[in-house]
Amino acid sequence: MKQANEYDVLIIGAGIAGIEAALTLGDAGYRVLLVEKEGSIGGKMALLSKTFPTLDCASCIATPKMAAAAHHPNITLLTYSEVQEVVKNGEADFSVKILKKPRYVDLDACTGCGICETVCPVIVSDEFQYDMRGRKAAYIPFDIAVPKKAIIDLDNCILCGSCERECPASAIDFTQEPETLEVKVGAIIIATGFKLFSPTLRPEFGYGRCKNVITAMQMDRLLAPTRPYNSVLRPLDGKEPMRIAYILCVGSRDRKVGNPYCSQICCMYSIKQAQLIMGALPLADVAIFYIDIRAFGKGFEEFFNQTQAMGTMFIKGRVIVVEEDKEGNVVVKYEDMDDGGRLKEDTFDLVVLAVGAMPNSDITKVFKNVKIELDEVGWIKQVDPNNNPATTSVPGIFVAGCAAGPKDIPDSIVEADAAAAQCMAYLNEHKYGRKR
Amino acid sequence: MSGKEVSREKRNTFLYLREKIGFKAPPKELQERLKEQNEIKKKILEALKTGPKTVPEIAKETGIDTYTIFWYLMTYLRYKQIEPVEKTDEGYWKYKWVGGR
Repeated sequence: MKQANEYDVLIIGAGIAGIEAALTLGDAGYRVLLVEKEGSIGGKMALLSKTFPTLDCASCIATPKMAAAAHHPNITLLTYSEVQEVVKNGEADFSVKILKKPRYVDLDACTGCGICETVCPVIVSDEFQYDMRGRKAAYIPFDIAVPKKAIIDLDNCILCGSCERECPASAIDFTQEPETLEVKVGAIIIATGFKLFSPTLRPEFGYGRCKNVITAMQMDRLLAPTRPYNSVLRPLDGKEPMRIAYILCVGSRDRKVGNPYCSQICCMYSIKQAQLIMGALPLADVAIFYIDIRAFGKGFEEFFNQTQAMGTMFIKGRVIVVEEDKEGNVVVKYEDMDDGGRLKEDTFDLVVLAVGAMPNSDITKVFKNVKIELDEVGWIKQVDPNNNPATTSVPGIFVAGCAAGPKDIPDSIVEADAAAAQCMAYLNEHKYGRKR
Repeated sequence: MSGKEVSREKRNTFLYLREKIGFKAPPKELQERLKEQNEIKKKILEALKTGPKTVPEIAKETGIDTYTIFWYLMTYLRYKQIEPVEKTDEGYWKYKWVGGR
């Protein structure tokens, strides 16, 4: 099908904020181009277990929106594609270059049956399961991917032709080439989300050194219906963990690693996971080492109190070091603030690091003749957060969700709709001449 | 042109790419990784021939560390090549091979 070359709005990033903004704009009749660098839309939300504090199934909320965006008549979806250059020619007039990477799979022909995955002989680490298991060089990103279509990872492909021979839809196509699309848009929403803090930057917490130290994102995968294991198990040896500890503020409120801010979501996702673990492993003990608990949103304090009442231990203390014993258990040495700062240690089967959220603002480099300002730690600056929360330093370019700073899912969705509304007002004024 | 006609045209496009990029063999690092994967799979399959086993049992029999064994088992689980059978009192699952490539 021939690609249109003019849209009202370009949305960069198809996580939950980008999808929400696209749906709102699409429903209002605006033509949207939604660009996602990964092979599936959905972002981090599609990989989560449940949301807090309501414990709603995350994928049950995300998947219908993902499907709606993919099938919306006013939304054109480009996955596995990257915005490479944006030039502002004037108000409501942007020229955009987009690199469409080859999937080596015909999207129209692929049925998502997974046979190419089964016959592919090469196993590599599965980035969508945060390296907790492998995937094949021919792969579908994850079970609820949209579009649920295969990709051939050419960096790891041995060009054996097995996938092509076995594909019942004859969808494998190694003749595909990278393609640069040039489009014109009237406005842009940046919804590139956030990166997770790399816990190897705090080596004392043992990530990488102790196999039974994982991140909270990995734990969320273990608790999700599309989990990498058959149960909640520890990665060192597949044992069911009976004592699990959380260390909060890993990479947040930490000037040593350049992140002075609170990531806002870690306390609550840890508390959520504690509840889910108690459901999945009723006999397990869960301890949370914290500095402060920041349960600031609607229903959060009650959720925190409920988790305490269910038996999760909250230990106010700074963890000093994490070590592995001979059985692969994790020894946590900490300062107990409720006991006068005494040094103590305890042993756990599994330790979860509540890693913080980091800016993901590299996209600003593709804007050639305008400068999108960042705040002091690198998030996209909201220049008028009280009145126009989606406004950036460049008229016509808006920001939604965690690209502007860490926030939970409901706040991301609210900001995405704010961005969509501001976008409509901007287009009405500068493109359609419909100013009030 | 029907979908079937299109698909017939696309058969063996991997040969086209091989020729285009001057592909003779996979990079050495990839070949070594593939060889290692095949050896691990062979050992795991051998260990599971005598019945379902836990990760530490397979590790003991194969001489491969438990982390690697578990990582591969969970990859096989994704492709429905193994199944968890039962959980031991020590909290380990026993896995059995159920076939596939």
